[in-house]
Amino acid sequence: MDEVKIGVFICNCGDTISKSVDLLDIRARLEKLADVALVSIGHDLCSPQAQQAIRKDIIDNGINRVVIAACSPQLYGDALANLVEKAGLNRHLLSVANIREQCSWVHPDKDKATKKAMVQIRMAVDKVRLQDVVEQAEVEVYKDVLVIGGGIVGMEVAIELSNLNLRTTLIEKEANLGGRLKQFAALYPLQVTPEEMLTSRLKQVTGSENIDVLTSAGLKDLSGEVGNFTAKIRKGNKEISRNFGAIILATGYETLFLDKVYGFELGNNIITQSQLEGMLKSPGEIKKIPQSVGFVFDICDEHSRISTLSTLRNALVIKERFGSEVYVLCRNLQVDGAGLEKLYQDVRNKGVIFFKFERFPKILRENGKINIQVEDLSMAREQVMLSCNLLVVEEKVVPHQDFATLESMLNIGLGPRDFYQEDNVHLYPTSSTKSGIFFAGNCHQDLDLGRALTDASNAASEAYQLISSGKMRVEVERVVVDPDKCALCLTCLRFCPHDAIRIDYEKKAAHILDLACQGCGICAAVCPAKAIKFKDWSDDQILAELEVV
Amino acid sequence: MTTGVEFLPCIVAFCCVHSAYQAADAAGRMRIPYPENIIVVHIPCAGRVDTLHILRAFENGADGVVILACHEGACHHILGNIMAKERVERANALLREIGVDGRRVEMQTCAPNDGSRFARVCHELEEKIKELGPSPLRKHA
Repeated sequence: MDEVKIGVFICNCGDTISKSVDLLDIRARLEKLADVALVSIGHDLCSPQAQQAIRKDIIDNGINRVVIAACSPQLYGDALANLVEKAGLNRHLLSVANIREQCSWVHPDKDKATKKAMVQIRMAVDKVRLQDVVEQAEVEVYKDVLVIGGGIVGMEVAIELSNLNLRTTLIEKEANLGGRLKQFAALYPLQVTPEEMLTSRLKQVTGSENIDVLTSAGLKDLSGEVGNFTAKIRKGNKEISRNFGAIILATGYETLFLDKVYGFELGNNIITQSQLEGMLKSPGEIKKIPQSVGFVFDICDEHSRISTLSTLRNALVIKERFGSEVYVLCRNLQVDGAGLEKLYQDVRNKGVIFFKFERFPKILRENGKINIQVEDLSMAREQVMLSCNLLVVEEKVVPHQDFATLESMLNIGLGPRDFYQEDNVHLYPTSSTKSGIFFAGNCHQDLDLGRALTDASNAASEAYQLISSGKMRVEVERVVVDPDKCALCLTCLRFCPHDAIRIDYEKKAAHILDLACQGCGICAAVCPAKAIKFKDWSDDQILAELEVV
Repeated sequence: MTTGVEFLPCIVAFCCVHSAYQAADAAGRMRIPYPENIIVVHIPCAGRVDTLHILRAFENGADGVVILACHEGACHHILGNIMAKERVERANALLREIGVDGRRVEMQTCAPNDGSRFARVCHELEEKIKELGPSPLRKHA
């Protein structure tokens, strides 16, 4: 290996760093460190002129490792890596010391801040000294997307993708597209009917050349990783094998009646929301118009958007169609989203009566009637007796039952509320933990229709960003396994959160898939034989950083 | 301390790039001061921290170590923070075995935008370590 020559470039950041850090003192001390060939203080290293100068300095002085002491690497980390690359070095041979956000801006005492900045820069120097080169490569990826689930969200995703000129295969397990929306009686607060909405989407899906619809079909097997998935799709007795760059799950939700929560069974004028929706959809099933209808929700799941909305919507439909007395009993009623507050007001103005309780109301069946005793909080805690002909109860919203088979095929899991687990809910709300697999709609969150459609567009654009160019840049062997040390204990394989580890049977060692790896370093930490080296954060580097303590 | 010199504890904070490192940046942008003797080690995920790293920090003379990770359920890599917690417990047990107060190592969580929490954790930690005094493993104790 060549002699290590580290160049340290310090930014004064328009005097906001030099105000509380003595840069000249730091330069003098840094020059005495081993392997440091050049220390330079510059004005605003983010400016093109300063970057030009750094590039020249790196080339002229034969610098082969770079430390930049400036603002947070979160801000200009990528730009600085590009700069290092332009100077002819590998972009990983750079370490950034954060002496602005984490030093000069928070430590007003000049002596102490200078001392801390020195520690930070020394850590960066010690780290970059041991840094290995990581090359980048471009890999060809398939520009096809697989959408699982032909409900309204799945169709929306397919339409968005086809408008973006990506070929899409849409698979639906039932014989027709449309999913759950087919059962809805109305879509309040939207002014369109479910039929109108479905027809317009169906027209676009069937009219598009980019969308291939496979109904009565299901995913049978999936292999490969992002950009290069191979899916086996079962349609009837046939099995179709296709390659995809990305997969979007729009499998929607199911509802379950929890008799244990309620303490009574269905039947005898007690029905669930989905049964009610079925009745409202086919009016022939309603033999006798109920005089009074009660709704109970907020029991299985606190503040479920889906059940709150279906209660409000169906209460309004019943009121408008039959003019029955309607009571809604809930613990608390919360609505969020465009038009929902108005929907609630409309429902109240139509004469629906709301009761809010703390303790679950007593429900008694007598002579075909249902008597409800509820302690109402808004009426000075008085006991109120209600009598109704029909009681509609809430169901728990859960992801589709196909989850069990998809889970093992795709290697994704359930989150805390029993929906699919996203990556980071704030930063990457539609990404799964596995690169190249996305979620759209109600399979991963409890969303109203408007939000679900927005979510569909988001998922489509994420997939587009990932594969639309047909190429992906990938870090080659950023994490490597030493086959001599690897005992194939499979600990890394079990712990990898992104399903990025396979077994290389020829080398008899674990093997990390560069495309799927997201660089958390968990495998390097769990490996009992220390056979895995994460080149950007190797054990040696972290231990070297700790030497400054 | 009897010498009359104020004890300045040395604290190593392993900060996950998805949460605490960004929180430290947020604290900077909001100009919320916190003790200078907190050494931030930039890591890709709390799950990267090995018990070895925690113990080495003490071996090198740190008085306290904290792993600052994402809130539970919000880890970018699903189980990084849970694993970090286990490592902290393991390091804690090992430290107690050799007669060092296990409270010197702890696990905290922080959201990426929560600069004030980052500063508060640093202040609380410094207070706690000051009460515990210098680590018996300090080379020049």
